[in-house]
Amino acid sequence: MLRRNFAVPFLPSSALKIMKSLFRRCFVAVLAFVSIVMSVNAQTRTATFAITNAQVVTVSGPNLSRATVVVRDGLIEAVGENVKVPADARVIDGSGLIVYPGFFDANTSLGLAAPVAPRPAGQGLPTTPTQSPSNSNYPDGLQPEESAIERLKSGEAQFETNRNAGFTTVLTVSRDGVFNGQSALINLAGDSVSEMIIRAPFAEHFSFTTLRTGQYPTALLGTFSALRQMLLDAQRLQANRLTYDKNPRGMKRPEADKSLDALLPVLSRTMPIVFNANTEIEIIRALDLAKEFNLNAIISGGQEAGKVADRLKAQNVPVLLSLNFPKRTTTASPEADAESLDVLRLRAETPKTAGKLAGAGVKFAFQSGGMTSIGDFATNANKAVENGLTKDAAIRAMTLSAAEIFGVSDRLGSIEKGKIANLTVSRGDILSKDKTITHVFVDGKLFEQKEKPKTPTPTTGGTQPAATASVGGNYSITVEIPGQPLPGTLSLTQQGEILTGNLQTQLATTPIKDGKVTAEGFNFTTTVEFGGSTFDLFVSGKVTGNQISGTMTSPQGAIPFSGTKIP
Amino acid sequence: MRKAIVFLMLVSISLISPNLLFAQSKNEILIRNATVLTAAKGTFENTDILIQNGKIAKIGKSLKASANAQIIDGSGKFVSPGIVDCHSHTMLDAVNEFSYSVTSMTRTRDVLNPKDIAIYRALAGGVTTANLLHGSANAIGGQNITVKFKYGKAVEEFPIADAPPGIKFALGENPKRTNFNPTPNAVPRYPRTRMGVMEVIRDAFVRARDYKKEWDDFRAKKSNVQPRRDLELEPLVEVLEGKRLVHAHGYRSDEHLNLLLIADEFGFKVATLQHALEAYKIAPEIAKRGTGASIFADSWSYKLEAYDSIPYNGYILWKAGVSVSINSDSDERMRRLNLDAAKMMKYGGVPEEEALKMITLNPAKQLGIDRRTGSIEVGKDADIVIWNAHPFSVYAHPELTMIEGEIYFDRSKDLTRRAELQKERETLEKLDVNRPPGSGGTPPKVPTEQRRADLDDADGGNR
Repeated sequence: MLRRNFAVPFLPSSALKIMKSLFRRCFVAVLAFVSIVMSVNAQTRTATFAITNAQVVTVSGPNLSRATVVVRDGLIEAVGENVKVPADARVIDGSGLIVYPGFFDANTSLGLAAPVAPRPAGQGLPTTPTQSPSNSNYPDGLQPEESAIERLKSGEAQFETNRNAGFTTVLTVSRDGVFNGQSALINLAGDSVSEMIIRAPFAEHFSFTTLRTGQYPTALLGTFSALRQMLLDAQRLQANRLTYDKNPRGMKRPEADKSLDALLPVLSRTMPIVFNANTEIEIIRALDLAKEFNLNAIISGGQEAGKVADRLKAQNVPVLLSLNFPKRTTTASPEADAESLDVLRLRAETPKTAGKLAGAGVKFAFQSGGMTSIGDFATNANKAVENGLTKDAAIRAMTLSAAEIFGVSDRLGSIEKGKIANLTVSRGDILSKDKTITHVFVDGKLFEQKEKPKTPTPTTGGTQPAATASVGGNYSITVEIPGQPLPGTLSLTQQGEILTGNLQTQLATTPIKDGKVTAEGFNFTTTVEFGGSTFDLFVSGKVTGNQISGTMTSPQGAIPFSGTKIP
Repeated sequence: MRKAIVFLMLVSISLISPNLLFAQSKNEILIRNATVLTAAKGTFENTDILIQNGKIAKIGKSLKASANAQIIDGSGKFVSPGIVDCHSHTMLDAVNEFSYSVTSMTRTRDVLNPKDIAIYRALAGGVTTANLLHGSANAIGGQNITVKFKYGKAVEEFPIADAPPGIKFALGENPKRTNFNPTPNAVPRYPRTRMGVMEVIRDAFVRARDYKKEWDDFRAKKSNVQPRRDLELEPLVEVLEGKRLVHAHGYRSDEHLNLLLIADEFGFKVATLQHALEAYKIAPEIAKRGTGASIFADSWSYKLEAYDSIPYNGYILWKAGVSVSINSDSDERMRRLNLDAAKMMKYGGVPEEEALKMITLNPAKQLGIDRRTGSIEVGKDADIVIWNAHPFSVYAHPELTMIEGEIYFDRSKDLTRRAELQKERETLEKLDVNRPPGSGGTPPKVPTEQRRADLDDADGGNR
């Protein structure tokens, strides 16, 4: 087995993983380390910094009140109250500043290119399921080998918003499909993908959803049975391979199935499986599946995780807890039925989840959970503190706890000598409303806030300059109506903060009303006629590079859309 | 020596008696002086029922209970067994896996939602047990689960552990209705005709028979390579081995008869014919095979393939010796199955107790759980409903519904709790997170309940 893998160096990385896990870990760690050191040496050889007289939240140890942190060649060289400032260091006066370990966002889709090129406009609806470009035996959405590394775009400029908010490390993975594929833990700096990677692949990610192509599974029922059958088939493939490798004569050659191969490390527990689960019953279903197949599970989302904290504790399952708290977005209408008690309770209870998990001894890290404004991260972390979580635990959930869950606490997550120099420096407590993030270090590289924020307005609590995004242009989009993707064109004309244009689909062409452009993106309303009645469609979205994405909300619910700019 | 004995006694007491004491005091309930409809051995007036440890311990006059027993005055009340619904999709987060014509690998157990409010409403209608089936979109649907409606408990408490497993089949219009296609991208599906449906079922059993042989050969060491575990065929092998009950949706009697013939061919028994509104035409054939019929009390001619249904269907089947149950197939209808049973007395004159059995003991038998529920008999689970009037009266409603001696619906408590809930709502609505935004925002959503109905429609009513 070993020999075979070495003889064929270009086997998929997943095949390597089924060898000795220990060996693999060391190998990946060394690779990551080497790449970091090399890149730092190459680009910022003389990058030595000393932040002096600062309050330092080390997370791993006690807080220091007037301390110095020395950063050299991408690593933390020294931290303490009696540390000498090296002669070659660029000194940053930290008086009045607080130095935190760089913050983690424990689940995002940052840096990922769009999965498939959208169909050319005007082609109409396809009559057969979309052919996957992969040569997997499984349809698109049931391909666990899909890898975030392959889809990561290089370049650090794309992470500016998140980095400016204090984030240095994120887990990133697609949200598409039943299997979302393998995630990557990346640093938000580096001009090549290899420089950004801390650990990849980290985990397989799984959603309790269905395929939208009309192919099995079309219902949640089938999602479970599809997962079960694939895991059983992977187990069998592995067993058959062992038998075959001993004596291939007289035995049919086991298939080289890359999708099943990708499940082997999940079955051997060397790779965790992250279940996207928010409701109590979803979390229970994930935990039951983990028990059934003895999987190393992690819950992502976890909105109602507080209700099942005892089960999470008993099975030792950590949570990537979303800080995207639910809030009421619907306007009051005298004709609408009152909201259900369950909904009202959920909104009130969600900020208490973190405190409940901490109380039960469940390990958790915070994630942004697809929030529209990253500024809500700290605001809602603070709400968790107001609802029963200690402040230290909140900071830990953004730093060391995340590093522990991701298996990198030996190099990230706290301010300690020898660790990777990911630091977030702020004026004011990070959880308070009046704070300004002044410096962010990623791999020892300093990112200063490009634009000093004006007086922070207490209403937004944000530190971001209120710039206006640039969204004008024509976009070829696909509206992801389940099972019936609707192609269309979105024409946006921007004049400062005012947005005009229209939305064209095969149903109709409708003009944009009340169009606005904000710092984060854009929103507008358009009136659509469908089935003899008209209703207002509320559209919000953002433009990143030549990619557009967002949500269309109708009285029937919200539907995502995405697309690319037509050159 | 004496010390040792005392010590041993202490140990044995600490080991055994707390459990016994706890279990005994856990719930002892005495229902006094009620009219007891046993659904097995007749109706008894001014009778007591003693419940201990979740089981019916005694039925009789002037029964004694221990001091800490809960006493319920049953004067003027009627007590019946908990209602068993042999065909339901309540508490399922998904009903139909549309993709294939054979989806035996799916399990309704996977998608149970113990928080479904329809459970509580069913309890308020006296239902304690239900057979939760896959939908009828596929010739062979998914595996069902038989549950007790222990609303408020964790999901794993719902399934009846020793209930035999089952599977849903569907004949006729629903599985062949491929032209109704909710996903325009999907490849049109086989079968398209009623004969195609039969072929799909026969083909599946041919495959299951081959699969069984593969495993039998492997186990008998006739072959070295372990066969692949096939989650689609495994449950069908269980059907062939008589370990899994078949619940077959269908309306036309020729199709149900065809299925019985396929079952004869492959040597298994069909547990129930579901809906079966024309089953009266083949009553002797059904009775001969010991198959049950689980029907609607009405819905006569409600769709084309149900055109030949008649009000006397239930009576004729019963008269022919078929085990008949009346099911709801609906969250709403589930709440008044007592009245559906009463209709069996009106059309043909099924005797009162026999009519009551059609929503209690008979479905319990059809589901293989009559050892523990379905009638009020000593030793059975205390799944009991206390009614304000005879359950066949239009004025009747449950006052108390209990499962295994625990009360899951109490009308008086429900009424007093409404004020509390209103207060809670007012408090919650004042919170910032629950306040509507001043302007902007999306229009209000259509309430969930209404969306559910829309979804059912999108399923083409394939339930």
